[in-house]
Amino acid sequence: MAMRDSLPAVLPATGIAALARRIAGLPLGVSFAGLWLVAMVVIALGAEFMLPYSITAFDLKARLMPPVLFGGGIAHPLGTDELGRDVFSRLLLSIRMSLLIAFFGTLIATTLGTALGFLAAHFRGRLESVILMAIDFQASMPFMIIALSVLAFFGNCLPLFIALMGFHSWERYARISRGLTLAANEQGYAAAVRQLGAGPGRIYGLHILPNIASTLIVSMTLTFPEIILLESGLSFLGLGVQPPLTSLGNMVGYGREYITRAPWIMLAPAGVIVLTTLSISLLGDWLRDRLDPTLR
Amino acid sequence: MLTFAVSRLLRAGLTILFVMTFAFVVLRLSGDPALLIMSVDAPPEAIAAFRKAWGLERPLWEQYLAYVGHATTGDFGKSMRDGRPAIELVMERVPATLAITLPALALKIGIGIPAGIYAALHRNTFADRLTMAVSVAGFTMPSFVLALVLVLIFAVTLGWLPASGADSPIHAILPIVTLGTAGAAIMARFTRSAMLEVLGQPYIRAASAKGVTWPRVVARHALPNAAIPTVTIIGFMIGSLVAGAVVVETVFAWPGVGRLLVSAVANRDLSVVQAILMVIAAWMVSANLAVDLAYGWLDPRVRGASAGGH
Amino acid sequence: MTALLKAVDLCRDYRVHTGRGLFAAKAILRAVDGVSFEIEAGRTLGLVGESGCGKSTTGKLALGLIAPTSGSVRYRGVAMPPTGSPPWRELRRKMQMVYQDPLGALDRRLPVGVQIMEPLVIHGTLLPNEHRERAAAVMEAVGLLPHQFDRYPHELSGGQRQRVVLARALMTEPNLLVCDEPISALDVSIQAQVVNLLLDLQDRLGIAYLFISHDLRVVRQVSHDVAVMYLGRIVEQGEAESLFAEPAHPYTRALVSAIPVTGGGSRRERLLLQGDPPSPVDVPTGCAFHPRCPFEVAQCRSERPKLEPLPGGHPGGRRVACHRVGEPAFRVAA
Repeated sequence: MAMRDSLPAVLPATGIAALARRIAGLPLGVSFAGLWLVAMVVIALGAEFMLPYSITAFDLKARLMPPVLFGGGIAHPLGTDELGRDVFSRLLLSIRMSLLIAFFGTLIATTLGTALGFLAAHFRGRLESVILMAIDFQASMPFMIIALSVLAFFGNCLPLFIALMGFHSWERYARISRGLTLAANEQGYAAAVRQLGAGPGRIYGLHILPNIASTLIVSMTLTFPEIILLESGLSFLGLGVQPPLTSLGNMVGYGREYITRAPWIMLAPAGVIVLTTLSISLLGDWLRDRLDPTLR
Repeated sequence: MLTFAVSRLLRAGLTILFVMTFAFVVLRLSGDPALLIMSVDAPPEAIAAFRKAWGLERPLWEQYLAYVGHATTGDFGKSMRDGRPAIELVMERVPATLAITLPALALKIGIGIPAGIYAALHRNTFADRLTMAVSVAGFTMPSFVLALVLVLIFAVTLGWLPASGADSPIHAILPIVTLGTAGAAIMARFTRSAMLEVLGQPYIRAASAKGVTWPRVVARHALPNAAIPTVTIIGFMIGSLVAGAVVVETVFAWPGVGRLLVSAVANRDLSVVQAILMVIAAWMVSANLAVDLAYGWLDPRVRGASAGGH
Repeated sequence: MTALLKAVDLCRDYRVHTGRGLFAAKAILRAVDGVSFEIEAGRTLGLVGESGCGKSTTGKLALGLIAPTSGSVRYRGVAMPPTGSPPWRELRRKMQMVYQDPLGALDRRLPVGVQIMEPLVIHGTLLPNEHRERAAAVMEAVGLLPHQFDRYPHELSGGQRQRVVLARALMTEPNLLVCDEPISALDVSIQAQVVNLLLDLQDRLGIAYLFISHDLRVVRQVSHDVAVMYLGRIVEQGEAESLFAEPAHPYTRALVSAIPVTGGGSRRERLLLQGDPPSPVDVPTGCAFHPRCPFEVAQCRSERPKLEPLPGGHPGGRRVACHRVGEPAFRVAA
């Protein structure tokens, strides 16, 4: 049937040739975005195997060396800082830290929000009003301010910081899952399955979740770059990831002091932030068109 | 219209109360305020005296009521740093923040809206693509990166503008441009999609089909309808003016509320953080309220639709 | 003999906002108001009425999908357990629902075969390796082909989807099916097939139906007994043959007279309904039908008529709620 053939998942994958053909069919921007993100994930997973230098190894003879194409040597492709430490090595670890925080933050936001949305839709009544109020509150306050006050009150450590990032935009998922569950309960398949005698676990886990997954995934492509920006902003201000750990925002904040003499310290991580968020947004836009035409 | 306004006003009040409660709960969750504010090795008598002075040995709900009572009168205690009332410290920083955020807002609206309208009316032309490309960059570039790039170009390389400080109006240029550029990008994107949506409506086609000239269709039918969603985003921008300035003020060492917040957080000066939290919340809520009322005025349907309950 | 399902004096209220804002007046909408009926095993009760009269709500109440505000439902003499409780879920094996929109009632991410087998998985009936066999048997019984097992809902036609929903409902061998407008979303050419399938299944399996429809022709074809609803109340009920031959309530008379007749030359009573049904939030006093009734008198406006046996010795347990039904002039006036 024509309908079936148009579903990409049904097509059998015949090796690398088919994969290459499919990639060639993608828009240019999307392919670049995909490649960039694959590179970032590889770096995040295997950073310690790629480090040319330990990030604490300093070489006072090679202080503030410019990157390779701007008069520097191949030994330090992105130059060195004021203690002669390798910028490239530091960048790899920063990428891993920023992606790690964004990944877990997004995961927490999605899980928490979806669960609350399900709870609101399942129990209705007072619980739903409370959750809706919390959604309104979260949406009406800039999260940057909430995050800053929590950091002020609780102090900072990495697990707390990641958990805090997870509270960013949970309300988006709560809204989506509540709305779609209500719709499904009102007229559709969820009511039918419930009527068959299924318990909540089956209804939510096996029926509603798979049906709303594509919308949730598209929203995750919005949350992920937002958390990268938020984390790097806070780290830039010195209120996020704390030394000796390093993240992209940290590096920019630290490189800012050498902006006149060694702008590469700051420009390298800044470029990575922009390219990464840009890539995810591009990929997200593309995914949205493919997966979820109902979402604008 | 009156019940609409009253219900919105109540909601605004509730949100403020919610923020107060949030601050109270977070404060209590974070540990013993006495130990938090006084140093760990303070003598026990001093800690006991502190508790007494702050009423910390009373029941929690009494503390909460006292807290809300103080907060509503603007009393958030004194700053740990220089002992002045926290609210005073915050209020004296407000003019500096407004001095860069208001011109930035004008920039956002003045550039973003015309650019968005132009892009929508010339859809898929080079100008449209360019506008959208710039606006995507505005979305994905963090403000501190933009700020530093501007510093690198205009202060370090060209030497035209000062990199930081607040000694003269010239110093305000880079912060304003940084804030305005990102906002204009968002504004342009939003206006464009609002315009495109309106232009796709049947009544626009009907109007042009019955012979109304295109400029008139745009001016009389498209623009007023696209204005409605645009008001929302403007309201949101006004609401988040202060919040958006946190990073930029810090980069440019601009003595506004945002920079005060960052240093208060870094020093854990809790009274000042709370005062700022409440000021921002009040500002945010007033902006939302203004938008809701403007909405009701612009679009009679909304009066019922959004207030009719869930 | 106790009836398979017995509903006594069912009421269901909904709270609705009549105004706007936080202090909007809240009104009570009584969607179902004192409805009683019985369904015997293997028989069909047809429930008819205009849209918004509370038919569907009655169907959900009968299955216990929503809790009644007052009144009770008993299945084989046992009270309906609370909605969602384990005994309630267990009871689903015995009573099932067929929907107006089969595409909406199916999960479009799963092949229909998996969905047909789902009731067995939920209730742990049969061994897992027997599920497929049972599904094949039921699919054949409802007229689906074996290769359609792996199809997705959007790949089937409307009639086939309704057969899938029916097959899923039949998997646990229920005694009662509530069919809520089961054919009104289907093409006219398919409608007859599905109706015949329902009749055939009743013959073979002895299932009882609560058949909800606004289409009197279909109700007449499938029902043993009929109940006519108007604004949440039953205004007339009784055996189908007798009720359609001699409708007593003015509302039923109007509905029956609107059924198109084919080929007949016989002159029938023509009774046209005036106006629209009033808002269920603001039900008229007395007899709810009085603003539209050609026979309305003062009593109708002030006093609500009870559902009482039809005078004059009619067969089939006819009951009607009308003040004027006993008056001789009432018949002639039409």
